[in-house]
Parts: sequence; C-alpha cells; structure tokens
Amino acid sequence: MMKSRPCHGTAAVVAGALLAVGLAASAAAQAAAPDLQGVWKLAAPTKTLKPVSGSVPFTAQGRKQYEENKRLQAKGSYDDYDITLSRCNSPGVPRLMLTPERFKIWQQLGVVTFDFEWNRALRQIVTIELPPKVDFLGQELVPTMTGTSKGHWEGDILVAETTNLSDRTLLDDLVPHTQDMKVTERLRLLDPDTLEDRITIDDPVYFTRPWDAVLTYKRQPAALFPEDACLDRLEAHQAIFPSR
Amino acid sequence: MIRCISVWERIYIMRTEFHRRRGLKGLAMVAAAALAFAAGGAGAQAPQAQGAPQASGSQAPGAFAPPPMPMTPADKLVSELPAPTVPGMRPVSPVPADAPMPAADPRDLRGSWYHNQALEFRMQRDMYGVLVPYNMAGAKVLARRVNSLKDGTPYINASAICRPPGPQWQRDLNFPFQIFQSPDWIEFVFEEYHGRWQVIMDPAKAPPPRQKEYMGYSVGHWSGDTLVVESGDFKQALWLDVDGTPLSANGKLIQRIRKVDNADHAPFLEIETTVVDPTYYTRPWTVVRAFGWHPGLTSFNEYNCEEQVGDPSVHADAGLVPEPKE
Repeated sequence: MMKSRPCHGTAAVVAGALLAVGLAASAAAQAAAPDLQGVWKLAAPTKTLKPVSGSVPFTAQGRKQYEENKRLQAKGSYDDYDITLSRCNSPGVPRLMLTPERFKIWQQLGVVTFDFEWNRALRQIVTIELPPKVDFLGQELVPTMTGTSKGHWEGDILVAETTNLSDRTLLDDLVPHTQDMKVTERLRLLDPDTLEDRITIDDPVYFTRPWDAVLTYKRQPAALFPEDACLDRLEAHQAIFPSR
Repeated sequence: MIRCISVWERIYIMRTEFHRRRGLKGLAMVAAAALAFAAGGAGAQAPQAQGAPQASGSQAPGAFAPPPMPMTPADKLVSELPAPTVPGMRPVSPVPADAPMPAADPRDLRGSWYHNQALEFRMQRDMYGVLVPYNMAGAKVLARRVNSLKDGTPYINASAICRPPGPQWQRDLNFPFQIFQSPDWIEFVFEEYHGRWQVIMDPAKAPPPRQKEYMGYSVGHWSGDTLVVESGDFKQALWLDVDGTPLSANGKLIQRIRKVDNADHAPFLEIETTVVDPTYYTRPWTVVRAFGWHPGLTSFNEYNCEEQVGDPSVHADAGLVPEPKE
C-alpha cells in the first residue's frame, strides 16, 4: 500500500537534508554536554547590568541616548524608551537574565531553553547545526528581542553568541544598544547550586570597547511556576518586575 | 511486533460502534468498515495534512457514514451559520532518516512535536463524525460569535489580547511545542502565546494555585500507557477554537494522550480531548488530534505579542469589541 505523505516544497527537502547532518551530529554531543538544568534565581536582585570594572564605556552617541533615557524615565515617558515597562514587551537578551523571578533551564535535542517565570518568556540557545526553517515570510530576517543565539561547549562552559537583536530593548533599565550588538555569554556552574553568566557586550556604535558583566544565580527547589500574565499586572497598575 | 491501531481505524470503529449502539446502523456497516480496513492494509499512520480524512472536521461524511441524525433546534441554528475558514498549515521540513527519535518508553513523552493536521477554525463534528451536541445556550453563544465576525465586529477573546487561550486552542494552533517531563509533573511549552500547559502528576507537590489560571489546573495519571489529564478550574470561560466554540468556566477537558510509534519513522502523539460542559452541550463529546515528532522544530521562533497589543499608537484591541455578557 502506498502511504499518503504531506507535500513539501524543494526548500523543505533541502532543509531536511541539512537537518539530517545537524541533528545526527548533535546526538553524541548532547549526551556529553554538561548539565545546567534546574530552577535558578538571581543571587542578588538588581536592575542594573554593572560592568565588572569601571563604568559603562559609552561612546558619545551611546552617552547621548543613555542621558535621553534617563530624562524620559524621570518624566515617566516609558513608552518612549522602555517598552518592557509600558507594554510588557520581552526584555530580550541580556535583560531577561536580570528578571528578579526564577527561570528554568532545559536541555533537549541540542537546544538550551530558558523558561522564565516572568510573563512565561522564553529564550533559547541552539548548540547544534539546524537548517534554516521554511520561512516564506522572511520572519528570520527581522531582528527580535531575544535574537539568534548560537552556542557551543568549551569544557564545562556553555558559550553563546547572540546577534540579530532588536534595538527596541535595553541592556537593563536604562542602557541602550543598537541592532548591531553582539552578546557573548559564558555560562557555567561554579558549584552544583551556583550558576554564573559572564556577559560580554560588544556594540561599537554605543560603546568604545567590549565590556563584561557577571550575573550569579542560586539553584531553587524544583517547582511549577504560577501563570504570570504581565499585561494583567500592567492593567492593574502593578509592578512590571515583581519580586516574589 | 504489536501493531498499534491508528487514529483513523479507531475513528471508524468507534463511529460505527456509536451508531450501532444507537440502533442507527447494523451489521452491514460494520462489515463495510472492516472491509475498508482490509483493503487499506496494516500499519498505523499519523493523520496527514492533505488527503487524509479530518478527524473532526466539517467535511461531508464518507462512504460508510451513517444516515444523518434528526437535527435539534440547536443543531439547526449552528448549521445555518456561515461556513468556517478553510484550514491551512505552514510547511515544515520532513524528519530526516537519521534524526534522533523519541524515547522507546511509551510513558516518556519528552521531545518536540508539531501538529499533523491543519488548524480547524471551528469544530463542527466530533471524532465520530457526529455533529457537536450543542444545547440551545451553547448554539446561541457560537452563533453570536460567528455572526460577530460576519458583521465585522468580532469579539475580544483571550488570544486577541495576548492572554493564554486555554489548553485546547493552545494545542490546536499549528505551532510546535516541547514536552519536559519529571515524575511530579509534565510541562508542555509552546512556541506561541508564551504557552505553558502544566500537567500535575502528584497534586500533593503542586496543589491548585491561589488564583485561578487561564490554562486551568490539570491533573494527570497513567492508564496503561495513556496519560489521562483532567483540566478544569479555569480563570474564565474559554474559546475552544478560533470561531469561538464555547467552554464555560465550569467546563472540563479530559485529555487522553498516548505516544504511537509503529517503527515507521513517523512517531506521533495522539491526543483525544473530551469536552464535558453541561452548560453548553447535551452530552460530553470528543475530538482527536495527532502531533508528529519534529526534532528540527526544537528551536522556536520568537513570540512577542505584547509589543503590538500594548502599542499606544494603535487601537489596543485591534478593533475587536467586548462580547456581551450573558
């Protein structure tokens, strides 16, 4: 008997061939990958992505936008500089890593998924070669809040590079970036209950040099997260980033 | 090898049985159905997007369909509504021959899954091909919603304002999801709507939340190799699909989920959903869906509806109007 099969276009067939290479190669690599899975929370809540040393090395253009953001913040014009506060827009990368609530890390099929308690947000780091998806609408050409994150393992460290980031997000509650920013993260376990994310910001338009920040997280008990709808909190005039 | 019975065989068998019990069909139909399977050959297959019968779709009954049942006034009201949008689904890459496969354990559901069937905008028939059993209250709700579309003043619903749309609509959308699993709970994480459907296996470790949730509270248990999940305690009434097939806030969904793997490189999840809601229906009714294994869709596209919904420069509700209170 001839089985019925869905019709796929040429693009899908090509993508499938590429997928075979990437997915097959991933199986062994993933089995050996260090395990970062669990529930995590910032060890010391902060709204600021603070440089490891010194101050943020703004260019003149970056400083100007930063000062403008401060002016808009003082004025309460949130939608003019921070649409996370005004609309619950995804804070993006790296600001999601500053949310004060918990997040989960899952590692499955070569993809590391960060599942945030805040507004049920997601970000992912792809550690295997995946083919381009069938993308008739060109969605993947448009910068997004969480960008495109490609990762690899260097020993026990997950190294992730994120690009294709929308300039509609901020690095923290004030610091701007451009669409050309590259974020490099080095995630590792300092001990079984402590996760470190060393973040390097590289954006020559707004910063004179790449600069580093380090965030540390403590392991939390396994738990299901309560359903969080940021827009409900926004409507109720509650905090956009609640601490629970 | 034990052969799994496919969705379609089960639908035929159950549909035949349903009508036989109701005295509407006799042995001739059972024999005809059996002949059809014999001619069709062995091997369970996942339902496909094109060319396959719709599990609960709106197409005319097939060659072995029973004679139509007498229509109730509610049936008549629903049948006179404008037809739903013709379904479609986005293309997806085929699963390559050497792709990783799901775990052999039938109780291990982990992995990436994607709908094998086109989105059904309005559920008009159950999995046996029988009309959805509306009572008049339910028919009126559906008619109001469908007519609001026709009139150009569609109603606000959870999806339209960027809120979780409930388990059935969430699963039915043609977007991939991942399943993460532990002994205490099973989490379905979806690409779309920031969707997260949590199935609690040990309620002692995850009691009902203090505040009701849009996705409700879902408790599961294993019945053989089938995960049976009862969902209820919803924060608000749900739309079960795009056109607004209703579920009252007191309604329940009972899902029966099993992984089917016939060693044909096309494993799938079969999810039967039984709608239990005396507020809107004369009896429980069931639809079935199938979700194929797609490890290449583990990386999701970003979903960020808040950027548009919250934009003060556009109409926040996109021109939708509040639905009248009942």
